[in-house]
Amino acid sequence: MIEVKNLVKRYGSFAAVDDLSFTVEDGEILGFLGPNGAGKSTTMNMITGYISATEGDVIIDGYNMFDEPEKAKQCIGYLPEIPPVYPDMRVREYLGFVAELRKVPKKDRKSEIDRVMGLARVDHMQRKLIKHLSKGYRQRVGLAQALLGNPKVIILDEPTVGLDPMQISWMREFIRSLAKEHTVILSSHILFEVNAVCDRVLIINHGKKIVLDTPEQIIRTIGGTEGIYLAVRADKSRVDEALSGIMATGDIQTVREERSPEDGVYACSVFPKPDCDIRENLFRMLASADLPVLEMRSETKTLEEVFITLTGEEGTC
Amino acid sequence: MLAVYKKEMRQAFTSIFGYIFLTFLLALFGIYTYIYNLKLLYASFAYAVSGVSTFFLFLVPMLTMRSLSEEKKQKTDQLVFTSPVSVTGIILGKYLALVTILFLAIMIVSTYPLILAKYGAVNMKVAYSNIGAFFLLGCAYLAIGLFLSALTESQIVAAISTIIVILFTLLADVLKDLIPSDHSISVMAIAVLLLALIALSYVMMKNLIVSVVLFVCSFGALIGTYIAKPALYDGFLTKLLGWFSLASRFEDFQYGLFDATAYVYYFSIAVLFVFLTIQAIKKRRWS
Repeated sequence: MIEVKNLVKRYGSFAAVDDLSFTVEDGEILGFLGPNGAGKSTTMNMITGYISATEGDVIIDGYNMFDEPEKAKQCIGYLPEIPPVYPDMRVREYLGFVAELRKVPKKDRKSEIDRVMGLARVDHMQRKLIKHLSKGYRQRVGLAQALLGNPKVIILDEPTVGLDPMQISWMREFIRSLAKEHTVILSSHILFEVNAVCDRVLIINHGKKIVLDTPEQIIRTIGGTEGIYLAVRADKSRVDEALSGIMATGDIQTVREERSPEDGVYACSVFPKPDCDIRENLFRMLASADLPVLEMRSETKTLEEVFITLTGEEGTC
Repeated sequence: MLAVYKKEMRQAFTSIFGYIFLTFLLALFGIYTYIYNLKLLYASFAYAVSGVSTFFLFLVPMLTMRSLSEEKKQKTDQLVFTSPVSVTGIILGKYLALVTILFLAIMIVSTYPLILAKYGAVNMKVAYSNIGAFFLLGCAYLAIGLFLSALTESQIVAAISTIIVILFTLLADVLKDLIPSDHSISVMAIAVLLLALIALSYVMMKNLIVSVVLFVCSFGALIGTYIAKPALYDGFLTKLLGWFSLASRFEDFQYGLFDATAYVYYFSIAVLFVFLTIQAIKKRRWS
């Protein structure tokens, strides 16, 4: 379990992390989301004890990081943004060094290194010099290093940056599989990834917590009204006429015209009043007016749009 | 600590630096022993040792420049400082590895007086007290180099600053005879040094009140003692430079005198700079 209490990091008068508190339960994957420079890496560096906090506490599995750093650090495996590998070492040699550094008992070291190399799928690279490895493989060696000694908590800072699509999907699946035995914190600025992998999401901006909840719940509460996209083979006037029936009941609040997907097709987004399912109603109205519906779909806001609304910043993805 | 030590040793000898250091040092010893003892037929091994000691200027930065700066640049310090090993353990591991490499060279050099003894009388006491002093002087320089490499991310800056500092310790002995020793100039020099220290403390702490209090207290004390007893400051600069003169303490050994205070002095310098390195790393993580 990870407890972060009122964590503050100030550089002069600038607060990189400002009064951040949250708890991550055992076996949970927490996604850490924020635009560049929001304080994600700074927070992770404090949780792992790489830098100290100006104020506040980090408690890892009952050990306070700032009072008993050695015990707390023993519980954490950390993969920073740039994998901390020595280019002039061989993969196996490097993992041997980390195993000793992390105080893996001597008799278990060999089997433990074999285990993590298997998990991260770098066993066929074990004799190679790290400087000859591609970015993707370096990232995997970094991951293997974080798993050494089977720590309870695993912290991954943007683990999929610089990987190819195959490696990304492998990495995501792998992180999911970790949650059975480990508590995981994962930072990212790729929203899809967080949505796909994490149990809960913490969005921060300018070092402050904005929201902490499940991805679904965040979308539901902040997502706002859902629209329904319609494409009908008819004129605008005939569709408007058909819709006016529901408009009159007040179930539809607004109708926004969309770009026509093909000739002779009218497209629009219909926004009903909150918590009102008008899809069946729409179908019946349009069918009874003999208007062929080519397409009808609900448009939920993506986490991405929620994120942009929340942080008020564009182009973060 | 042991993990870091082993890694440093392995890295020194998988990269080229360990070999260059040993080759360079042993080649210098070979040349100097040949010239002084075999060619010029000096009976003492001390001249060779003293001759080589000047070359610490280039030998030390070769070993120390990567030590901490490279970890920071490659971001591997994120691994090392998030591992369950204390900062003290990490720095000691690194320092002991540096000392071990120097010690390897010393072990080989220690056989030279024995070889020379085959061909004539060698004063073993002088020879080995010289080698001992040489080793401790090297340890002190290595600690200074380690400290400077903790302050920067750049190997080049670490190397150049180490060369400058070692050069200063070599020249301090010459400089101290050149500067005036009367008390008014000494007090002015102290005032300038104090100002520099206070300015540095302000840059590091960004606390105006502390700096002002420091200024008032230190200058009050300085002016007060100067008015009361100006003779206190006679020859102060000379003494000050003398403290930094690591090389001059080596000379006594050359004349066959065993000076235990020099051993203690070198050892203290080494301890001081290892301590400062630990503090510098801790401070960097706190700011």
